[in-house]
Amino acid sequence: MKKIFLSLLILVVTNVAFGQSVFDKFEDQEKIRTVIVNKKMFSLLSKMKVEDKETQQYVNLIKKLENLKVFATQSDSKAEEMKATAEKYLKTAGMEELMRITDKGKSVKIYVKSGATDSQIKELLMFVDGSGTEETVLMSLTGNFDLDELSVLTEKMKLPGGEDLKKASKGSKGPKGGK
Amino acid sequence: MKITIFTAVLFSLLLLSCSNEPSIQKYFVENSGKKDFIALDISPSIINIDKSKLTPEQQTALNSFEKMNVLIFKSNGKNETQYQSETQKVGDILKDETYQELMKIGSGKDGASVSFVGDENDIDEFIFFAKNQDNGFAVVRILGNDMNPNNIMNMIGILQIANVDMEQLKPLQGLLK
Repeated sequence: MKKIFLSLLILVVTNVAFGQSVFDKFEDQEKIRTVIVNKKMFSLLSKMKVEDKETQQYVNLIKKLENLKVFATQSDSKAEEMKATAEKYLKTAGMEELMRITDKGKSVKIYVKSGATDSQIKELLMFVDGSGTEETVLMSLTGNFDLDELSVLTEKMKLPGGEDLKKASKGSKGPKGGK
Repeated sequence: MKITIFTAVLFSLLLLSCSNEPSIQKYFVENSGKKDFIALDISPSIINIDKSKLTPEQQTALNSFEKMNVLIFKSNGKNETQYQSETQKVGDILKDETYQELMKIGSGKDGASVSFVGDENDIDEFIFFAKNQDNGFAVVRILGNDMNPNNIMNMIGILQIANVDMEQLKPLQGLLK
């Protein structure tokens, strides 16, 4: 009996844990707005023919992106849950704090995982703590991109927390210009 | 202990390989005649346009498009449980590997997702799934041959200049009543 229980448990655990990100549990929850864009979407978009230079810049960045997840909530309990998950994740993911902004009771923290060079980023995590007055936003972006290029994205996409991300992109001290 | 782990692994492999999941197509067939569902087939003839006026790119785009199937479930305040179970069903079907999710937005109460079947450069099918607790949900299948991002952009261009044959959209009027 015990054996059967154990094997069932292992079965459930392995199947659930397979290929799941820690943040996936926030999907389809009430009171949480989600935006998820997968790698396939980015690669489809990057195949489009574009003529003007600005859009070309945008497409160049998109090619380097893999996954975008944004979760936003107004609910206090959900915000707490998001904060706890983010903190737990940061402890294990080996990410560095890029910047921290506190503005009118809301705090924004941005963490990155660097790639080959300092300005090359493999993963970016942003947490906006609304502290009950504003929206709490958790954003995770993976790929292999340059921090400077992100400003193109924040200008084109209207995402929650986009304004805060813009500050990070402008404030970066990484080498400018180069790809 | 070893045997336990072995059985567990075997079981999970078995579950994975036996996942003969119902497809979206089956779901359409099963539900199109049911109460509270509206099914709709749209053929390319909905686009009334003089083909000679199209650019070669637009023509390939038009040819890549075969048909569109729409299935709508209408909420009426009494079928809440059915709404829950049906959206769950569609959601589960779309989780299958065949359907590659492109993007998804939602807020728990309502949501929308876009998936596709096939290869990036040769898309066989697009599936849109949108739901709203108060209104119901809709699944749209766009079937085609060799659809790609450029063809889709051209298609949107065609729709802007074409006369859309409203006759084919008539069943939708039932939604507004």
